[in-house]
Amino acid sequence: MRSPGSLKQEFLKKWIMGLQRCSSSKNSMSVLDRKKAIKLSADIAMASARKGTTCWSRALIASASKGASDKHLVEQILGPESERLILMKKFSTGALVCSKRIRSKKILKRSCGIRRTRKCAPQAALASSIAKRLVRKRTQVLKRLIPGGEFMNEVSLIEETLDYIISLRAQVDVMRSLASASELMNHN
Amino acid sequence: MSSRRSRQSASVSRISDDQIIELVSKLRQLLPEIRDRRSDKVSASKVLQETCNYIRSLHREVDDLSERLSQLLATIDSDSAEAAIIRSLIM
Repeated sequence: MRSPGSLKQEFLKKWIMGLQRCSSSKNSMSVLDRKKAIKLSADIAMASARKGTTCWSRALIASASKGASDKHLVEQILGPESERLILMKKFSTGALVCSKRIRSKKILKRSCGIRRTRKCAPQAALASSIAKRLVRKRTQVLKRLIPGGEFMNEVSLIEETLDYIISLRAQVDVMRSLASASELMNHN
Repeated sequence: MSSRRSRQSASVSRISDDQIIELVSKLRQLLPEIRDRRSDKVSASKVLQETCNYIRSLHREVDDLSERLSQLLATIDSDSAEAAIIRSLIM
């Protein structure tokens, strides 16, 4: 799998690039504005480290590019590939059609299954239907947390979740190191 | 005709079930709480719940760190040597 060290390096490089572009434009920003800029640079850097290979990274880049001023930052961090990566989100909807078909088949099979088991063991069927409802409810919550999650089928959702968590962890580690190091230096 | 259709949908979900089990086990490896508990029987809904909680806590941490860095840059003592280092790095 991709090594976490190189992921952090990639993230750090792009993040610093983004921070430099943000701060060079306006010297006196409010604390809130600067925080938003730091966070935005971090998210774009994290997404661009995946180079358009995952759905969540494409969705993140697409939503970050919606504002005119933010789009400029996105283009600067992503570099020459930015146009291609921003447009990729639009073409990924092709996967929607197949995933919808698979999902509707699974829903159909699941609903048939529930009807069948209820005849044999009502208690077990009740427990399993509660469990299924819980799983479905939690899956909905997860879909809202992952960028672009509403469009994924179950399998892709879990794959994207795995990658998203790994990237988030790298992002947090790098940001924490920079924050601690800066604070240490500042207190001297 | 109907048997073929049901066999088709069954084969699609059979592949997905195995994949889902494998992916869920990978997810369990990543979650700090479940990994330490060392029990083999963790329900899917528990894994999903822990995943959502973990992602939310990671988001909160990114937010906190951005806040800290922002305040740091605002209060930095502009004449010190350290400020110059930090400034050249991220500003």
